[in-house]
Amino acid sequence: MKNGSHDPGRRMAVYDPRGVAGAEARAIAPRIERLDGLRLGILDNTKWNANKLLRELRDQLAAGHPFAATNYYRKESFSRFADAALVERIRAENDVVVTAIGD
Amino acid sequence: MTAATAMQPATTVPDGTDLVEWYYEQGYSDGLPVAPPTPAKLEAMLAALGGDPQRVEARVPPRWGALTREVLAINMVMAGCRPEYAPVVRAAMLALCEPAFNLNGVQATTHMAAPLLVVNGPVAREIGMNAGCNAFGSGNRANATIGRAIRLVLLNVGGGWPGDLDKSTLGHPGKYTYAVAENEALGLLAPYHVEKGFRAEDSTVFVMAAEPPHSVTNHVADDPQGILDSICSAMSTFAHNNAVSSGHCAVVLGPEHAATIARHGWKRHDVKSYLWMNSGNAFRDIAFDHRYGKVYNRNLPVWYRREPDARIPIVPGPDNIHLFVIGGEAGRFSAFIPGWGHMSSPVLREIEREGAGGPRRDGGGPRCVDGTCYL
Repeated sequence: MKNGSHDPGRRMAVYDPRGVAGAEARAIAPRIERLDGLRLGILDNTKWNANKLLRELRDQLAAGHPFAATNYYRKESFSRFADAALVERIRAENDVVVTAIGD
Repeated sequence: MTAATAMQPATTVPDGTDLVEWYYEQGYSDGLPVAPPTPAKLEAMLAALGGDPQRVEARVPPRWGALTREVLAINMVMAGCRPEYAPVVRAAMLALCEPAFNLNGVQATTHMAAPLLVVNGPVAREIGMNAGCNAFGSGNRANATIGRAIRLVLLNVGGGWPGDLDKSTLGHPGKYTYAVAENEALGLLAPYHVEKGFRAEDSTVFVMAAEPPHSVTNHVADDPQGILDSICSAMSTFAHNNAVSSGHCAVVLGPEHAATIARHGWKRHDVKSYLWMNSGNAFRDIAFDHRYGKVYNRNLPVWYRREPDARIPIVPGPDNIHLFVIGGEAGRFSAFIPGWGHMSSPVLREIEREGAGGPRRDGGGPRCVDGTCYL
């Protein structure tokens, strides 16, 4: 429905309610060519079935690849960010890391 | 030049454009028509927010958009807010963006949770919030548009669009608006914020990630125990999220129920303690008797006994039950409002207003421990 008395030469202001979302472009890590001999980290987010899913995945991967180490970690809460100290530890102790929701 | 005049329109459109349709076409609506912002309305709203349009109040997850005062003003005008609602909406957004609330998770979860706002103190009465009949329902501009402004910010700035960053399986109607005030005027129990150490003349906003209210009917009991047993019955199911995810919940006493309870001399802490002690589930029920595999449930506190007949509380302690008196004076109804779970902590925040200076908290006292007063 248009205003019957509008002036076609005039313009009206409209506004963007979204705010700016700053995003920092980051390259993804180079793709791993071979798993053998690497340190495998598993991050369990503590969702209902995450441990079942991830333990099975870990066992299947370990059956097919001789890892130098397999490490298992848990987040404090599935919905919150992993603690920064935990992320640092995972980074230091592993070459590849697998995580999953397991809802 | 006032600060407000620094606000710049995104663009301009020909005079006579149907602005309601324009905002729909941009995807800036919650599904209902928005009130198209005009320079005059934005200027008034920005002034009520304190000017300084480019000041970033918060970053709103999961999109992490910058909530400047300008952007907040735009969303508030779109929601239909009056400028005097500005301190409430601002305080609520700051509360929601505190890390303890985990808005990132609340926005993105498959659960139906929506932020519930409960306003305490004189500001609720001054801006005309409805704490009485049909408080959780429709018909009051302040309740409706304060909650709607929050939702528009969560959508537009936070990016919580259904199916995109909001993965809720079902959602619930409180995702349009879910803002009420406590009915302090009846003076039946101490106000919520006073229990938490604020003065009665302070104004606060409480936010909690919440399921919808579940009605509790009791037209029979003339004592606290009987009324509270009905609330315990509503709490003691294993269908809601608290049962399996712990955390916090809210209980709303309707004024008739609250009057009966108060007449017997029961205080807020008596009510919360009774509710906590007499609600819960047997572990065997939430574990389905291990029919689907051995259940431990890591989302419940480690100190719960995982034995078949052990009582599993709905929340870990009485202070995880947030108690309010809300509603009209007639009707023997109350409500149980389950929360989302331990993944989000409720936040209580002062609403900063001009002329409301002075120390905010009593700093404890004989009946106050860790910010909670046993009133």
